Amino acid sequence: MPDQAIQRRIESFLFEEARLLDAGQFEAWLKLFEPNGIYWMPSRPGQTDPLNVASIIYEDHAILSIRVQRLLEARALVLTPMPRTTHLVSNIEAEAGEDGEFTVAAAFICIEHQAERQRIYSGRHTYHLASEGDSFRIKLKRVALMNSDGTHSPMAVPL
Amino acid sequence: MTTRMVQEMTNTADPPTVDDIRSLVRPDQVHRRAYADPSVFALEQERIFGRLWIYVAHESQLKKPGDFVRTRLASHEVLVTRHTDGRIYVLHNRCPHRGARICMVDDGTSRLFSCPYHAWVFRPDGSLSTVPHRKSYPAGFDLDDPAHHMRRIERVETYRGFVFAALAEHPEPLVSHLGAMTEVIDNLIDRAPDGEIEIADSSFTIEYRGNWKLHTENAADVFHPSFVHSSSVMPARRAPANASVLDQDQTREMLLANGFGTTEWETIQLRGLAGGHTFMTSFYNSGVLASQTTDPVTTRYQAALAARIGPERAAQVLGMNRFNNIVYPNLIINAQYQQMRVTIPIAVDRTIVRIHCFRLKGAPDEMFQRAVRFLTTIGSPASMIFSDDVEMLERCQQGLAKDTGPWIDFSRGLDSDREDADGSVSGAASEMPMRVQFAAWVNYLTTEAA
Repeated sequence: MPDQAIQRRIESFLFEEARLLDAGQFEAWLKLFEPNGIYWMPSRPGQTDPLNVASIIYEDHAILSIRVQRLLEARALVLTPMPRTTHLVSNIEAEAGEDGEFTVAAAFICIEHQAERQRIYSGRHTYHLASEGDSFRIKLKRVALMNSDGTHSPMAVPL
Repeated sequence: MTTRMVQEMTNTADPPTVDDIRSLVRPDQVHRRAYADPSVFALEQERIFGRLWIYVAHESQLKKPGDFVRTRLASHEVLVTRHTDGRIYVLHNRCPHRGARICMVDDGTSRLFSCPYHAWVFRPDGSLSTVPHRKSYPAGFDLDDPAHHMRRIERVETYRGFVFAALAEHPEPLVSHLGAMTEVIDNLIDRAPDGEIEIADSSFTIEYRGNWKLHTENAADVFHPSFVHSSSVMPARRAPANASVLDQDQTREMLLANGFGTTEWETIQLRGLAGGHTFMTSFYNSGVLASQTTDPVTTRYQAALAARIGPERAAQVLGMNRFNNIVYPNLIINAQYQQMRVTIPIAVDRTIVRIHCFRLKGAPDEMFQRAVRFLTTIGSPASMIFSDDVEMLERCQQGLAKDTGPWIDFSRGLDSDREDADGSVSGAASEMPMRVQFAAWVNYLTTEAA
């Protein structure tokens, strides 16, 4: 377990990420990822294989940046009107690895409001973070939805 | 029948008559009741999903005795099982004792299905194996009496691994219902060097708040992508090529492929067949397909196929380039991308879409990984493509739920559609496929007895 100062910095980083998503600052959010960082939302509980098992999202920075650009397009129908979200991150537990890297586990809830509909997402995040100065960059963000293998409506804003 | 009379019938509880149904479809227009009236939906469940051959499973999900999948057939929940005799059965998921649902998972393996309430135990063919405390049942209680068995759907047929069931007592033979659509199933299997396909374990289930026909129509519609998908086409156009290290640019190419206009509208051909089946010639011409013809994976795959069936036959198989082959009413197959969709109506304004992909046995593993990637890009709930489609389907339903302006327009292409020996032919800008679907719809719904 890392010391309190590092734990606090990791928590701040996760809170910053949540705030950027809630504020709709998706380009700034994307900058939290390493240039070869990956965003992964599996379609099955405990999924370890992103190649032979379909994922809800499995994207590196290049594809993720198309997704972010689309979030900024006026014509994205599923984003009209733009959903408002509250991303909550909690139960944050960090584990130090080598070379200033950390594996971070967290629980999340996201409430999304759009037009007359309100939806709740929840699950567990796993981050692989690399240190960069006083802050971090995301090498991997794995979003394990509690209902990953369930019946879904279209999802718009990243969790 | 006049428009006024049609409007007056709205919200009646009586089942629609043959004349009611005929009055909902004009050569160039369809009445909103076709999408929004629960009594019309009930008739569809009875005469379309409750009579026609409906896809229920793929044999690769039922490899050994006891394997089962759970799905829907019209308004029923059913189990598709492989029995110890090797045969496939389709059973209502309901205990004949007190009526409880028996199986609560979507798939698995079980040599016996046990009702948790009073422990009646059934075999995979639905027959009753045991009941506890046998002696408390009356002397005449016979385990072999079908009344005590999980009720079977009697009509089950398989076409090359695709399992269909029909609730009609005397459905036409499956192959005659499928007609020329067997070609696309054949083509999907022919693409496997070992001549065998397997459905992938992972799939997506999407629910939308709209009528099932909206999805079937959207899949036959080449006019909408340029508008509906522009929010993903534009960023994909601005993004650099080959920037992704994950997928050889497949996602970007797929997003780009929806950005077509007049040229594609005027060159792609649509086909409509008797029975309501439709398909289009492929429109992913410049994208995924083209780049795949030169890369090492495709080269290896083509060599494997040619080694098995000869280069000439392989070229013929790979040359079949048909997109969104819709087997009426609810099965959509894209052989060249190893993809399949199943549309499952839940209520007049609620539909589930299941999206699957296949493994071609004997093909390089990377071919399957591309099919998985295709599935994610086009069929995931977070798809940058399908999510916008779903949004439009829901907006249509919201508009059609209102009584104002009861007629919607399907006239595009009416002056230029042609008929030939195989059915209807049109350019991609035509709404011919929807007219073909609705002609079949009227025919099925106005047939009184199965």
